[in-house]
Amino acid sequence: MRTHKILTIAKRDYLATVRTKAFVFGLVVAPVLFGGGSIAMSFLKGKPDLADRQVAIVDHTGVVAEALVSAAKEKNERDLFDKKTHLQIAPRYVFEVIAPAANPAGYQDQLLALSDRVRSKQLGAFLEIGKDALRPSKPSDDADDSEDSGLGTSKKANPDKGVSYYTNAGGIDETRMWLNGPISDGVRLARLAQLGIDIKSNQGLAAGVPIQGLSLVERDEKTGEVHEARKRSELVGFFVPFAVAMILAMIVMVGSAPMLQSVTQDKSQRIVETLLGAATPFELMTGKVMGSVGVSVTSSLLYVIAGTIAVNALGVAGLLPLTIIPWFYVYLLTDVIMLCAFAAALGACCSTPQDAQNLAIVLLMPCLIPMFMLVTVLRQPNGMLPTVMSLVPPFTPILMLLRQAMPNGVPAWQPWVGLVDVLAFAAFTVWAASRIFRVAILMQGKPPKLAEALRWAMKG
Amino acid sequence: MTAVDDLSLTVPQGSIYGFIGPNGSGKTTTMRMIVNIFYPDRGEIRLFGDGRPETSTDLIGYLPEERGLYQKMTVEALLEFYGELRSGRSVKAEVASWLERLGLASRASDKVETLSKGMSQKVQFIATVIPEPKLLILDEPFSGLDPVSAEAIRSAILELRRHGVTVILSTHDMHVAESMCDYILMIFRGRKVLDGTLSSIQDQYGDDTIRVTAEGGLAAVEHLPGVEQIRDLGQVQELRLTRGADPQEVLRALVAQARVTSFSLTKPSLHDIFMRIAGPAAEEANHANA
Repeated sequence: MRTHKILTIAKRDYLATVRTKAFVFGLVVAPVLFGGGSIAMSFLKGKPDLADRQVAIVDHTGVVAEALVSAAKEKNERDLFDKKTHLQIAPRYVFEVIAPAANPAGYQDQLLALSDRVRSKQLGAFLEIGKDALRPSKPSDDADDSEDSGLGTSKKANPDKGVSYYTNAGGIDETRMWLNGPISDGVRLARLAQLGIDIKSNQGLAAGVPIQGLSLVERDEKTGEVHEARKRSELVGFFVPFAVAMILAMIVMVGSAPMLQSVTQDKSQRIVETLLGAATPFELMTGKVMGSVGVSVTSSLLYVIAGTIAVNALGVAGLLPLTIIPWFYVYLLTDVIMLCAFAAALGACCSTPQDAQNLAIVLLMPCLIPMFMLVTVLRQPNGMLPTVMSLVPPFTPILMLLRQAMPNGVPAWQPWVGLVDVLAFAAFTVWAASRIFRVAILMQGKPPKLAEALRWAMKG
Repeated sequence: MTAVDDLSLTVPQGSIYGFIGPNGSGKTTTMRMIVNIFYPDRGEIRLFGDGRPETSTDLIGYLPEERGLYQKMTVEALLEFYGELRSGRSVKAEVASWLERLGLASRASDKVETLSKGMSQKVQFIATVIPEPKLLILDEPFSGLDPVSAEAIRSAILELRRHGVTVILSTHDMHVAESMCDYILMIFRGRKVLDGTLSSIQDQYGDDTIRVTAEGGLAAVEHLPGVEQIRDLGQVQELRLTRGADPQEVLRALVAQARVTSFSLTKPSLHDIFMRIAGPAAEEANHANA
């Protein structure tokens, strides 16, 4: 292996990439695309739909509806307008209490009439509170009609049965979500009243108790002073790990995806045979991988510098777990080497840019699968699935880094085991990819089947 | 499938060695094995004495048949890249010299994508000869070139040979093979069928060819006794005699029916030999024997 050849190829590929407008554009656009969702959500959160939430209530208990109307009135007074600007910032809840049908025959007609009003958009939804709602339930009572499975199974209406919410609204229904609290409060108070407790002179009986998240109490090793627990920041618990993992995934994808096109292009434009006249396939592939590593390191340095400036400007620099930065770079390098070698082998198997496009999704799987798992990992960072998946080499860099960036971290042995796994797997990927690359790079026509490519990897 | 089978050849240092043969006969595969792009299943290749291909690639300049250049690079940057890739040192001076020599100095800063096909081929040739190799392997170096560009490349190859560079080239142009090559190797269906100097190859076939110019052209030489095959070159007809035929008898028969302007007994041309080995008649004979 001749180092100067590898470096010459790496230098050419590096400069060919970073000098393009596409690279500069990608540096800016990739974070916008990744972060765009969050930015749009925070922007739209301040611009809610202010249309009135019209809900009809058919209360068979005769006591819960009053509590709901009262809760809606209280919420409207509290949340409807911004205290400073006096502009409306939340939708108004308008509840219409409907007397239940006088007889069983009119019951279905009433439900149908209310459904028609929902269909004609006079109402957003209607709520039916059955008599049984006041009866303290046992788990077995709800077994047959607990939360539906999401499959839209039919359910027979019953005026006595619990609480039913009828609507044709799609997506996340905020009205229903908000109603959970007031209904539960109203029902609890009604049950207490049934037991003879004077609820009017005992205000706040149904009030919930908020739980405040705090960090652990610490002792200062130098002074011996015990520091009180601090209020835990959502930024530390969620945003920082999420952002660190996303940045890693983004840089790896931006750094490795062009490799596939680059190799296919060299092959389809007949450049590769000239190169192979001067360098071995392994030197050629290694040089290309090194070029991509250089591109990724350049991107990451720019993001790290920009991120450092941003967190300093926002005054949250202290929230960043600086100890993971070395891990970030170790994972970045191994992941890019692994994916670029894989991309080189895939690219060598392609004869046209269209072939490469078809295989691009395969290449990005080691980044996409961990991204699909981000929420699961954030919920249970040390659960069985996140732990196992973060020790599977293609997924280790993103998932282990995400877990390491969380406040509780991971058991000390896991990053090291993960690192050994990743290094071994990266070495294996480069070895196998170089064997496939050598055989496939001068082949034309239909891409090889998986079994054939594996045979090349094993037998060379 | 066997691309090249039981092929042995020795290329004398400082010579021009021409590979000829029909498409798919194994010329490019042989060249790729010499350059170490393909590895032979059996046998061995030794370069520059005892050198193996894998340790000798820096001494070889290889021009593949399927040309390709990085289109977005400037001519100068591209040539410096190829030169540095092979030599590991800066080759700015050689690049400037070769661009001047092949009339491309004014295009040094232009992107490759702006060049004409002929210019691109010259650039590819320069990329092959920088830095100066000891062995030059050129797969169809004149393919697609106009006469002016072809002449420039031909002169450059001959000059390199004068400086001691050994050249292996493949060509479908029999005139190029006859006029440029010291030795000619013909590969047919993966096997060597001819190997030697032009005259030694022609000697194998003897003086069995007559070149004739006669009034009436082709019509005048048809139906002559002792003539096996006629190749009509327009103003001249080339007649191949049957084994044992007497050229004097052929001349007498020809003079009896037409006015003859020229008549010469020669060795067969390389083109004729090529056709005897790989032409349709040979194919038919092979099928019949099979």
